[in-house]
Amino acid sequence: MNETGVPIVEAQGIYKRFGELEVLCGIDLKVSKGEVVALIGPSGSGKSTLLRSINVLERIDRGSIAIDGSPMVQETQGKAQYVSDTELRRMRRKMGMVFQNFNLFPHMSVLENVMVAPVQVLGRSKREAEEKAMDLLGKVGLLDKATNYPYEISGGQKQRVAIARALAMDPELLCFDEPTSALDPELTGEVLKTMQDLARERMTMLVVTHEIGFARDVADRVVFMDRGIVVEEGTSREVLSAPSHPRLKAFLGLVDR
Amino acid sequence: MNEFFAYFIKLMPQMVGGLSVTVGLFAITLVFSIPLGVLVAGLRMSKNQLLSNLTKLYIWIFRGTPLILQVVFFYYGLPNLGIRLDPFPTAAMAFVINYTAYFAEIFRGGIQSIDRGQHEAADVLGMTKAQTMMRIILPQAFKRVLPAVGNEAITLVKDSALVYVISLSDLLRVVTVASIRDFTVTPFFVAAVLYLLMTFVLEQVLAYVEARFSYYE
Repeated sequence: MNETGVPIVEAQGIYKRFGELEVLCGIDLKVSKGEVVALIGPSGSGKSTLLRSINVLERIDRGSIAIDGSPMVQETQGKAQYVSDTELRRMRRKMGMVFQNFNLFPHMSVLENVMVAPVQVLGRSKREAEEKAMDLLGKVGLLDKATNYPYEISGGQKQRVAIARALAMDPELLCFDEPTSALDPELTGEVLKTMQDLARERMTMLVVTHEIGFARDVADRVVFMDRGIVVEEGTSREVLSAPSHPRLKAFLGLVDR
Repeated sequence: MNEFFAYFIKLMPQMVGGLSVTVGLFAITLVFSIPLGVLVAGLRMSKNQLLSNLTKLYIWIFRGTPLILQVVFFYYGLPNLGIRLDPFPTAAMAFVINYTAYFAEIFRGGIQSIDRGQHEAADVLGMTKAQTMMRIILPQAFKRVLPAVGNEAITLVKDSALVYVISLSDLLRVVTVASIRDFTVTPFFVAAVLYLLMTFVLEQVLAYVEARFSYYE
């Protein structure tokens, strides 16, 4: 992907610790518009924390993050300084997030799940929001489930509703935190296919995943993290077909013998 | 048996007065203490340490002393502060403040039992704290606390009998007076039947509300 214009995410020198545990130790990450970036790495490598930091679900200790060119958090005197909560909420609207455990709202129907934020946050009319929600549900293949409640549908369907819910806010970047890890193997396919469709429409996506196949087939770029640092990054072909770092080779099961 | 019914009919007019005090106190207490309980639960969870600690103090005092004592304190104490109220409003005030403390803790438990993922999902969708609370967290929390709220409501029906201490003529006081006057314990049976009737109706209402909330999960 050619990198034109302002990157949608530009993170520099990110440090984050949970108590004694240093989870992110100086991470740089850039995501350009229209790009699909896969974040891979072993459990505990910090990839989910990095994604959650970009979405302000975690607050970083040091470093800076800019969203679409405007600073969200900057480092001053060795400490991360965030912009105001109002400003953060405004910037968050540019980003959608899909969770491992779906986090659908159980007391709302599928349709209401997709409509609630556009109505409450963007102030759209119910009619307008419903129209758009039905469009999106059609796109993820769940038009017939609109009036169902989350408990009535399968995990794969739940995750597709979650994707529609995120898309309803017209995000410029869609983040996925291990979107298929909570699914039975036979249900991962439908979610990956939905994501693949989005990639084809040049939706900018940042995906934390264990699906190496997805990273290889769909991602423009792959970032391999281990123990809080970026060990290797490049095009999916470079990183996955010709890994150079021993830790990446080990992770991919290509240990030199 | 006919004699019993004749006596029952004779008692009814007095009972109606007592019942209206009991039911009135019940209704006023619920109507005010449930919304106040939500508010106090919010203050109790506030990041502001002063607010949170003051709320804890309030809850400790009102859960930690007998309700009957609080009613007496309000009845004899308020006039000393220059607040003169009739017995019924005094009792209602004490009940509301007491029940709010219990409801606050019930709602806090309900709110805190909601998965963190629900907050996160609302957060990333750009909802404000208030929107998240009203649209996402409270509707789910209410469903979870319904059985506990039902318990409190049933207890409240019976707690209302405590107002005899400031000479309010609730149901129990009316039957006590009748029993002494007529040299019979029959009025107490009548009272028991009426309490059971009230709690029976209440249980039906609670079952209905729970059923209405069970449209999901």
